[in-house]
Amino acid sequence: MMGFVDFAWLVPLVPALCFVIVGLLGHKTPEKGGYIAIFGALFAFVMSALVAYDYYTSDAYKLGEAIIIGPIEWLNIGGLSINFGVYIDSLACIMMLFASFISTLIFVYSLGYMHDQGEKKRRYYAEVSLFLTGMLGLAVSSNFLEMFVFWEVMGLCSYLLIGFWSFKHHEGDDASDNAASAAKKAFLVTRAGDVCLMAGLFVLLYAFGSLDYDYIFSNAQTVYANNPTLINIGILLMFGGVIGKSAQFPLHDWLPDAMAGPTTVSALIHAATMVKAGVYLVARSYPLFVTSSDAMLFVAIIGGVTAIYTASMALNNMNIKRVLAYSTLSQLGYMILALGAGGYLISIGMQEGNQALITLGTMGYAAGILHMINHAFFKALLFLCSGSVIHATGTEDMRKMGGLRKSMPITAYTMLIGSLSIAGIPIFSGFWSKDLVLEAAFAPFHDGLGMGSVFCVLFILGMITAFMTAFYMFRMWFLTFMGEPRGHCHGESPKTMTVPLMILGVFAAFIGLIVLVNFSYFIIQSLAPGLGGALADLGLYLGFHDSMHILEEIFTNVWTYVAIVLAVAGIAIAYMMYVKKPYIADNFDQTKKGFLYRLVANRYYFPQLYNQISWKLGYGVAKGVDIIDRNVIDGTVNGLSNAVVGSGEGLSQVQTGYVRDYAAYVVIGVLVTIAVIVLMVCYGGGF
Amino acid sequence: MIGMEFFLGFAAILFAIGLYGILSSKRGLVTLMSIELMLNAANINFITFASYSGSASGQVFVIMTIAVAAAEVAVGIALMLNAYKLNKTTEVDDLSTMRW
Repeated sequence: MMGFVDFAWLVPLVPALCFVIVGLLGHKTPEKGGYIAIFGALFAFVMSALVAYDYYTSDAYKLGEAIIIGPIEWLNIGGLSINFGVYIDSLACIMMLFASFISTLIFVYSLGYMHDQGEKKRRYYAEVSLFLTGMLGLAVSSNFLEMFVFWEVMGLCSYLLIGFWSFKHHEGDDASDNAASAAKKAFLVTRAGDVCLMAGLFVLLYAFGSLDYDYIFSNAQTVYANNPTLINIGILLMFGGVIGKSAQFPLHDWLPDAMAGPTTVSALIHAATMVKAGVYLVARSYPLFVTSSDAMLFVAIIGGVTAIYTASMALNNMNIKRVLAYSTLSQLGYMILALGAGGYLISIGMQEGNQALITLGTMGYAAGILHMINHAFFKALLFLCSGSVIHATGTEDMRKMGGLRKSMPITAYTMLIGSLSIAGIPIFSGFWSKDLVLEAAFAPFHDGLGMGSVFCVLFILGMITAFMTAFYMFRMWFLTFMGEPRGHCHGESPKTMTVPLMILGVFAAFIGLIVLVNFSYFIIQSLAPGLGGALADLGLYLGFHDSMHILEEIFTNVWTYVAIVLAVAGIAIAYMMYVKKPYIADNFDQTKKGFLYRLVANRYYFPQLYNQISWKLGYGVAKGVDIIDRNVIDGTVNGLSNAVVGSGEGLSQVQTGYVRDYAAYVVIGVLVTIAVIVLMVCYGGGF
Repeated sequence: MIGMEFFLGFAAILFAIGLYGILSSKRGLVTLMSIELMLNAANINFITFASYSGSASGQVFVIMTIAVAAAEVAVGIALMLNAYKLNKTTEVDDLSTMRW
């Protein structure tokens, strides 16, 4: 029987068609193709909901299998065949659902936000449709190469959209002055990661002889056992791609600059697409990644370091979008930390045959995915709120805002929900997943595994990050919405913008409650196709904590209360600093601060480091290549042609035009010939 | 009977004179005459070998050569006349435009 699952390929295809239609004919339709883009996203959402329902009720789900449609053979080179297919499991369903749902809301919001962009709207709607195609295609891909294609489609779209306002635009501060170079930066920095990812895929292709998910996942343990070093290298290279795409340390610096694009694009990049692709890749490749506990440890360390490092940069930033960008980086760090810690636990559990560790590890995995879902909702909400603020005030500088609570109440209170959620206040969605993340980071230490001290440090970093998050989010909220107005404001945004805000507000507040309906089981089922078999061979199974157990763990753990206290303390300090104290403009002059303040405000001089590296190293390499090009390559080519021309010229001197010279050459030639013959006859004994 | 070496020596001397004429003289007509000398040196060789070996084929070749030489001289003289009409000279060193 044909179910909706068999038509899952429509999910990325329809937005792709919308991209073509808007791109070619958008200028003839109302809103320059805006409605077509919305239709595409909405269709994708409805279709993914049907596919998800179909999958959820299917036998494959109950048996812990993925539904693979196709695969069509795409390439066949030297015995290696690359397929193109659709791979539906619970992770793909989750990804499709939230990406298409949030994109729909963002596109609706764009109707209001981009309303006065005129002809450029056609380009905008075409590009965001393609962006969504990239994400949905990535979610349903059935092998790594197919995934990589969509991965690159997103890279292209991020470049196009970040550079949407090529040079200056009316709402920009200095950050947005040169969107074109921000776009280039995003493209090149993520490219550094993509090259790693590609190299990782080559390693996988070499090691497995296939790039199909089901083949790789079901054979990961065997192949790893045969050649651990090779697979370790492959995993780390693939994680390099994640570092680039999900903007982890040390390739994080493109994401704050990406704020030069329209706010809706930032929301799209941060919530629904792009940066989630990296997290998705780790989650998708989990059966492969968990073969190596060392790699998982590395993943966790990168996640933990990114979380605190980038959170610190949000503490004193004056740009409302930048604060949100840093908070995205920090939350992505949380997700990667949870996935890394969970993977480490599963990996150790498989080595030691310890069922309890595996159950804890799957909780880490579920925590990472849950945090990704929750983050998608509250970050989309926060960005769209900041877009609403920017739309009304015409600036991104929080020093020129203040007191907007009264003039734009819907924005203010939806943003408050988002801030409470990300700060981890109980009941709001961020609380549940953040707590699980921290618990996953704490577990290796708690259970006395190897590397416990590393995880202890990571856990403490995570706690400090939680405190910082609460502080900077409320610093932003208080600066923007409380106190006295410090600039002008057009009042509340139009309905097309506030309605998506309200819908997202509801989700941002309550989506976290899905942990109470055993949602983690649904998430963990996506590990079953790859890990289930490997675990069964070891006499283990894919355990999971049911919702009662998770609740019990959250509320009986003293650290939960510490985290809540820290979050409340962060909010309280922000309140003391930015509401109680009168606003004095001088206090916000960034040039008059101490070393630490300037260090953070200058992003730890990372952009300068990038520049230095690209100037010194890149320029040096380019110079060297130039010398080789000029001297060796050009030298060879010119030398050859010079040799030909020179010998031609030399020989042409023989052509004197004097008949007697020619006659002399003939005579000499004849004499030489005779002499040779005579010599051969005399000494060589004949011819 | 006169020895063969005398005929061959005479032909060699004749050839050498012709060669010297070509290499030393600047005048076109002298060059043509020198070529004739060398041809005739070759003819003498043919005749000598033919006579000493008792075969007629050498003499047949000589008749052929004389015919070709006559044609060659006709062409050569015509070239010289045209060269003279164009350049007012038959000095071969002045006729050196056909070079690089």
